[in-house]
This record gives sequence, structure tokens and C-alpha cells, in this order.
Amino acid sequence: MAERVVVTAVGIISALGMGKDAHVAAIRNRQSGVKAVMHLKSLHSAEFVLGEIDKSNDDLASLMGLPTGDNGYTRTTLLSLAAMKDLLEHVDISVLHNEPFAFINANTVGGMSKMEDIYMDVISPDNDEQNNKYINTLDCAESTENVAAHYGLKPLMATISTACSSSSNSLLLGARMIKQGVVKRAVCGGGDALSRFTLNGFNSLKNVDKQLCQPFDQNRGGLNLGEAAGFCLLESESAAKARGANIIAVLSGYANTNDAYHPTAPSPTGEGACRTMQQALDMAKLAPGDIGYINAHGTATQNNDLAEGLAIQKLFGPNPPAFSSTKPYTGHTLAAAGVIEAIFSMWAMEEQMIIPNLNFETPMEELTIKPATALKENEPVNHVLSNSFGFGGSNVSLVFSKA
Amino acid sequence: MTQPLYILSACAISAQHTYDATRFLDPVLSVNDGKLFMIDADYARYISPVAIRRMSRMLKAGITAGMKCLEDAGVKTPDGIIIGSARGSVTDMQNFLKDMINMKEEALTPTAFIQSTYNSVNGWLAMMTKCTSYNQTYVHRGFSLELCLLDAQLMLAETTEKKYLLAGGFDELTDEYYIIRDKIGYYKKQMPESQALLNHYDTPGSIGGEGASFFTVTNDADKASCAIHGLQMLLQPTSEALQAAMADMLSQNGLKNEDIDVLVCGMNGDSRNHFLVDPLIATCADKTTIATFKQFSGEYDTASGFGLWLVNYLFVHSCIPTETVYKQGTSDEINNVLLCNITISGDATLVLVKRNSLAG
Amino acid sequence: MEDLKRTLKQLIIESLNLQGMKPEDIDDNASLFGDGLGLDSIDSLELMVLLERNYGIKIEDAREGRKILTSVQTMAEYIQQNTKAIS
Repeated sequence: MAERVVVTAVGIISALGMGKDAHVAAIRNRQSGVKAVMHLKSLHSAEFVLGEIDKSNDDLASLMGLPTGDNGYTRTTLLSLAAMKDLLEHVDISVLHNEPFAFINANTVGGMSKMEDIYMDVISPDNDEQNNKYINTLDCAESTENVAAHYGLKPLMATISTACSSSSNSLLLGARMIKQGVVKRAVCGGGDALSRFTLNGFNSLKNVDKQLCQPFDQNRGGLNLGEAAGFCLLESESAAKARGANIIAVLSGYANTNDAYHPTAPSPTGEGACRTMQQALDMAKLAPGDIGYINAHGTATQNNDLAEGLAIQKLFGPNPPAFSSTKPYTGHTLAAAGVIEAIFSMWAMEEQMIIPNLNFETPMEELTIKPATALKENEPVNHVLSNSFGFGGSNVSLVFSKA
Repeated sequence: MTQPLYILSACAISAQHTYDATRFLDPVLSVNDGKLFMIDADYARYISPVAIRRMSRMLKAGITAGMKCLEDAGVKTPDGIIIGSARGSVTDMQNFLKDMINMKEEALTPTAFIQSTYNSVNGWLAMMTKCTSYNQTYVHRGFSLELCLLDAQLMLAETTEKKYLLAGGFDELTDEYYIIRDKIGYYKKQMPESQALLNHYDTPGSIGGEGASFFTVTNDADKASCAIHGLQMLLQPTSEALQAAMADMLSQNGLKNEDIDVLVCGMNGDSRNHFLVDPLIATCADKTTIATFKQFSGEYDTASGFGLWLVNYLFVHSCIPTETVYKQGTSDEINNVLLCNITISGDATLVLVKRNSLAG
Repeated sequence: MEDLKRTLKQLIIESLNLQGMKPEDIDDNASLFGDGLGLDSIDSLELMVLLERNYGIKIEDAREGRKILTSVQTMAEYIQQNTKAIS
């Protein structure tokens, strides 16, 4: 019997701010971080609203004690560093120096947020000293290696990229490594900075809403993009107890499946999403009725919300547990979405609250269920489910339980 | 490793004749501009005309190598698909990026964006094999393929049922990507004839390459010719750390240095890696034959996939192609093979592969 | 109109990379999606870009797009109606 895997610390930065207090306060105030663009230099900046983090790259560099200006750190790395800094407020770094330890990161476009501005110079044979500081940031592992190096860590490292389910997969791999005894501890998560590349990419798929996104609404018009980074410290229960750590939650179940249906769209019946949630519940040895809150993927695109809504309805019946999408607060933060929404789910359990789904007006014709729209406190939430579904048919569901 | 990871089949699309393994190194294909591009395979054999028309080169190669690998193993629907790629489809990334820049963010088509997603080959292979189970993509530079093998091993350790997983790696070279990597210091300034790469060990850098290598891996010992018994990823190790990791891996498997019949060495001709490679070669026993492959594959982040394909080839064919022999050893058997890959950034990976004595 | 349709077919073949097809292989009224030419949702996005890049026609509403992209005939009619001012 493999040991239980527990979460003992988290770190987060998103459009709602940095750390737990800022996030929980924003949720309680129904305050969205999605707003007019401040930093992203897209020709479409004036048209869109984004879940952009207020801090500029220089602000983030100062926060980390790094030189400002062209310092060689991409925004993806800076956000990941900030999330790690937040995590390390809650756990002494010496815990991570004790071998064996894994650092499992995720992102979708690496340092594209910088590379897209200098690409034409980068591919010219002329060498430019300023640009060369960023020359090795075109891949996803750049932020992983930079974060590890910044904190002097030499862990077993991995970087995952499965589109919008990426950082959920980080947690899944970390749990698997701990259960198999490969490592005792793993910092798992991911981050993505906004880039013109992804904004234009999603816009070319015609699924970006220029207004505030409306998950699970009949009149939803697509997603709002956002940026974020988040990490969770996973440990074997015995390792956590041995050091007297505070246990936030048990990662009691997880599943990774594939739709095998279409390069970008989910299977319209929600079959894949349903199977994923079911498998995660099975691993946690829970019945659907045990779940107190579902943090849905809920991107507010036509396809996702229909498939996911049908899947929730099928698995949980006509009276499902309270469910909501937190993307109206943060925007869709792509590779970071999985981990930050897992963190929101754990906080819902810690605070015994139901997080309301913002911007919801009209129930979907195809569904009999609708998301939670009111903040509820003192709710008995003992088990939570967090969904992440991505391009390439990649589905992950995570189940967390009270310790 | 707690239990062996059996290799049931292997398929590689590379700069050499590997897709048709009967023609391996016959002849050796060599270039003098430092760019070993892969040889196109018969992509239309596995990919429908409707699907293939939008696909970029790397997608076609990745999907085809994966499908042929499963076909060779007699597996229609694997129990999971785990793929590593440090940079995904470079062509799609650069096409969408340049289109965005040139069109000033207007009227962009989505195809290149979709295909630039690192897990697009994963998605296609899932669709084509109707594999609705586990699907994962590792994108960690020189460890991308090894992380797939580790994940596969962990996954199989969780079950007592016989499971078949498709694991593989791919990376693409383009002229633009060559310029970028050249600025990072990947390539030699004076390009030798590629097949003579290892005679130019006195200058920094290597030669460019690309390819897709896939393996059907399983906990089913029945038909596999070999199995992975040890796996290590070392981030910029010292020479001592590499030696220690190797000794540790051997002793865990009850082996000594002289039990290694073949060392398949991923040396890449970069003078900056002398300090790792030289002691490794010096500690090889007289029995051990050293075989090399980067003069044929070129250097890329998942080039160890070509190396593992070669390891599997040695077991299947029970012979070592003379073109690969760097140092001839005295052993006339192939029972234990150690694959040691070394990357430009000085990372190293070790994979211990043993002949499968349980094959039915 | 006939010239327009012929040009349009050529553009469709090129932009969707319909290998081995010639303009005369595409019937004016054949359905582009589903049973006809067998195109999919990503192709429809590609065709909308084709209209934007070649004829300056921007389709914002996906449902309207579906109607316009029914066949070569409907596409050509829409182009003619919406580019008269220019031509």
C-alpha cells in the first residue's frame, strides 16, 4: 500500500495578487483580476481584457532582488520565481536541500513573452549582446532551470507541456514519484506569462471574448487569457509528519486521460471529461456525493463548457455539488491554470467556502445544472475536485481531501 | 529501478536509414554543412490524406515513427502515450510567430499555432490509435526522452496487468533554429564532414541533427529482446559524479565494469565535454566495445533516442555495425549495454539495457 | 462570377493544401463540410482568413461564417455582394 501524498505549502501569483491572503480577499469581494491591458504590447491590447499581473518585469525583478532591465530573465521565469518565493514563505528552504527531491514545472510557450519581441533579430546571423541574454529561452525548460539555479537547488527536474492541463500533470507526476519512493518531496506546478503569440493564437481560433468571460452561460463568448504561476509542495505523509509540517490537504486522487477526438476540441458529449473525473474519484475511493466543491475548467468557450457541463451532469446527476470556474477572476492562465485552480480548491476546503462563478447570467440550454453564483461560508467541504482539460485532448482531474 | 522496462519494438526516423533498419548505415549519409536533416519516410502509409495535408514535417515524422513502432510490436491501442521533445514542432512555432510579426497580428490562420503546441503529436497519436488512457509530454531539454522512460517505468510499477506503452522523443532542426542554437554555442565554427565528427574533438560545439525515435515499452517479458534495468539523469555532473552514478547503477544490478559488453556513447565531439568523456572511456574494460552515434544522428536534445534505438538494434541483430565502433572490445557477446548520453550543456544520462533472458 | 469561383477554388486548394485536387474537381454547390469535401472546423477558420486576406472580408460571427462557407457558390455570392464597392 503506497503512502498518502500530502500538500504542505503552496505559492501563487496571479492577477489577483501574490499569496493566499490577497487571493482569498479578492474571492470574498467577488473581485476580478481581468481588466484592461497594462503591460502586454499587442496591437490588439486596447480590444481585449486580460488577467494580467500588475507587476512589471522590473517590479518582479526587484521583488526577487535581481537587476532590472534586460537581465536575461523572461517574464515566465520571473513569475515562476515569484510563486516559488511565496511558497518559501511557508517552508524553510533547507527542507528542499534534503535529497531526494523533485522540481516539476510546466509551461506552454517557454520564454515566448520575450522571444516574440526579439525573434527577427535573434534569427539574423548578427550577434547582439542584449538579445543574447535571452538566446536560450525559446524552450519550456528555461524557467525550470532558472528557478532551480536561483535557489541553488539541484533536484530531479522535469518540465511538462500538455497545453492547458500542464501543471495538473506536474502534480500528478510528483505524486507518482513520491508514491513509488523515487523522491520524498516534490515542488510541482507551473507558470505562463501572457504573450502576443498565445493571444493571437487563441484569437485565430476565434474563441477569445473581448468582454469579461462568462463560464457556463448560454451567451458565453469565449475565454479571457491570463497569466500566473503556482507551486505546491508535495510530500509523503510520513515525511511531512516527521518534520511536523502543517498539512493543507491530501492529494487523494488523480487521473490523466485523453479524448482521442480532435486536435483542439473536446468530445462534445463530455465523455472524456466524465471518464477522467470518474477515474480520479475511483483512486480517491470516493463517491460523487462526497465531493463538496468542483473547480471546473470552465474556460467559457462554446466547446469546453458544453462538454464539461454535460460530463458533470452525467457523473453527478441533476443536483451536483457546488461547482464554479475561477477563470473570471484570473483569466485562463494556460499552463498555470491547473495548479492555481488546485490551490483555489484546497483553499475552498481550508476556508470551508464555495467560490462563486462570476459573470453568470443565463443557464445553458443544453444543461439542467448551473454553477454556484453566491459566495457561501461555513459550508462543509471535505473533498474537492479540480478539472483541467487541454488541446490535444489532454484531460486531468485532481481530488483533494481534508487531512 | 524496481522492475525492468522491456523494449518490444523501436522505430526511428533520422538522418540515416533507420526507418528501414535493413539498410542501416548502408550507405552512411554524411553532410558537410553541420545540418543532418532526417530522411522523409512514407508518411502517407499511416496518415490519411485529410489529416496529412495540414501537417508540418515534424508532426508527420513523429506520428509515423510512433505508428510504425506500435505496428512492429503488434499493438493497436497502447495503454498510454508518453513523448518527450525539447522544442516541439519548430517549423510551426516559427511560422506562426513570423506570420504574426509580418501580418501585424491580423488575419492569422490557426493551424501552425495548434501544431506548435508541444503535445500535438501526442494528441494525434491518441486519435489515431484510439488511446483514451494516459497521455503525457515532457519538454525538459536533454532529459525529455529519459523522463518518458522514467514515467513509463513508474506507471508499469503501479500495475500487475500487462501494459504496453508508447514512449518516444523527437526534435526538429530548421535553418533558423540552427542560427539560434549556434549563438548558444551548439555548433562547431569549422564544420567537419559529419561522419568524421569525432575526429574533431579539439574544438567546441557539435553538428546539428534531428529525428524521432519511438519505443513500445512494457512489463510483459514475453517477446522483448532487451529491457532497461537502470536509468539516471545527471544535471551537469562532475566527472566523479558521473563515474559514481555509473558504478552505483552497475552494482545495483550485480554487474562490474567488465560485464559491460558495449558502451553506446553519446559523445558529441565538443571539446568542452572532454572532462566527462575521457575518464569514461579510460575506465572501460578491455572486454567493452565502445560504439558512438552522434556522427550519424547529429546532436539534438532527444538524440539519446537514436542511441537507444541503436542499443535495441544491437540486441535484435546480435551484432555491432563496424561503422559505429570507436574502440573494439574483446567480448563476443551482447548481454549488457550501457547507453551514456552527454549533451552540449554538460548534462548526462545513463541507461542500462540487458538482454531479456525471459523471452518466450 | 465564373472567374471568381475558379479563383476561389484555386485559393481553397492552396490554402487548405488539398493535394492532387484541381479546381474542376470542386462542384460549385457541393457542401464544403461534412459529406461534400469533408472539411473540418479548423478548415473553416482557414477559409475565413482566406476571405480576409484576399478579399478584405472579415467575418466576426462564427454562425454567419458557417452560412457563408456552405459551398463555393455561397462564398462567391457573399464576396460579390461585399466587395462591389471596391470592384
